Amino acid sequence: MKNSITNFIRLLGGLTILVRQIFRELFVPPYNFGLLMDQMYQIGIRSGPLVFVTSISTGMVMALQFGLGLEKFGGKLYVPKIVSLSIVRELGPAFTCLVLAARIGAGITSELGSMTVTQQIDAIRALGTSPIKKIVIPRVLAALIVIPILIAFANMIGIMGGLIVGVNDLRLDPLFYVQKVFATITLKDYFAGFCKTPVFAVLIALTGCYYGLNVKGGTQAVGNATTRSVVVSCIFVLIGDYFLTKLFWVFEQWL
Amino acid sequence: MAVIDVKGFKKAYDGRLIHKDVTFSVEKGECLGLVGGSGVGKSVILRSLIGLEQADGGQIIIEGQDITKLNEQELVPIRTKVAYVFQNGALFDSLSVYDNLAYPLREHTELSEQEIGERIREQLNEFGLGHAEKLRPGQLSGGMQKRVGLARSIIIRPRIVLYDEPTAGLDPYNTLKIREMVLRLKQKGVTSVFVTHDMPTAFAVCDRFCLLMDGVVKATGTVKDLTAHSDGLLPRFVNGLEGF
Repeated sequence: MKNSITNFIRLLGGLTILVRQIFRELFVPPYNFGLLMDQMYQIGIRSGPLVFVTSISTGMVMALQFGLGLEKFGGKLYVPKIVSLSIVRELGPAFTCLVLAARIGAGITSELGSMTVTQQIDAIRALGTSPIKKIVIPRVLAALIVIPILIAFANMIGIMGGLIVGVNDLRLDPLFYVQKVFATITLKDYFAGFCKTPVFAVLIALTGCYYGLNVKGGTQAVGNATTRSVVVSCIFVLIGDYFLTKLFWVFEQWL
Repeated sequence: MAVIDVKGFKKAYDGRLIHKDVTFSVEKGECLGLVGGSGVGKSVILRSLIGLEQADGGQIIIEGQDITKLNEQELVPIRTKVAYVFQNGALFDSLSVYDNLAYPLREHTELSEQEIGERIREQLNEFGLGHAEKLRPGQLSGGMQKRVGLARSIIIRPRIVLYDEPTAGLDPYNTLKIREMVLRLKQKGVTSVFVTHDMPTAFAVCDRFCLLMDGVVKATGTVKDLTAHSDGLLPRFVNGLEGF
């Protein structure tokens, strides 16, 4: 227990130092747009298939579960409303970010961990350059740009998944489904979910970088750090989701 | 004036003092061999000379500047004149051999891409690696990786080179190649510190030796001095006698 608390405090301290280093070097030229584009490809395009499968199956399962349940009470017409609202406000951002935390977090930590144990990070420093600028900033910025875009697609695909099940299994009219979706979702609903994604993106990338850069030992340590990074990123997403939902709820009341 | 001056260097790990009081200096154009048993902390000293490790006490003066007080940003000018040759090359495995060598040139010089290409080809030919330009580090043998690592370290023509076991685990051919390159750099007036357990190579390239033991420099001098004095510590170390 004492160890866990110490490790948690160390993690928070490490993340704070990392954020400070990022801000110190973020606006200092030269800017590495090539590295940023490369990371946007690695994080964004290569996560596309996973996001597609996750979101379409979420939408389909939601529609099926609600459709079958509500049909008994003659309420299957509410399926477009319930599916679209729950995907846009909650399931799209949170569920997709959990999956991305595993994929991106593990990818960043294992890559940086391997670079650390093979002294490539030391080589970057020894050659008079900064690992923060060359390694951390491109990954954090790429995640910050690409993850919200992925979530926007995930929301759309999730609703499409619901539409497929609604039309094929629940015998709903496609036009009715689409009209209901547009009538239900307001900008407030959309942004209540979407605005969480930049926060999740930064948490995932920062945690991945922190664990990768702090690997000590050999290949086994890289594996351990990768596992820890995924677990911590997922916890951050889940806990962050609660607090952000509460925050946006307060804002919505205020507006 | 000494190019490298280490005074009362202290370094601890997990509360254990590895270096209690290490003092030595290296003159311009000189090659100093840093020798001692495994785990005595030779690489730690070498890493501290370029700021990769933070000293817990003492001074490390490089060309008149104490680097123990500098932060990462302030260390950049030092790192452009002091090169570090890593034990396993530490090549960037996402880049080709060409891009590995281009990395420091693109970062620290104003050379055009054409001039960078010419410099890299010249360097690779000098190291007998002309054919390896497009290969990735994973496609190279251990010896080739070390030679590329050395080529990358010295491509921006540093004034000081720190070698961390550059010949460890190499076959006689690659050992000889590295030895020739170190001697060639020495002839050009480059100051160097050489950490190794490969004593034939050390005797071939080093002008003086520092023998580390129990966290301090136990003996320092030429091979002749150390053989004659200091309780015969160097011969005892070389012959693998107890105590190291």
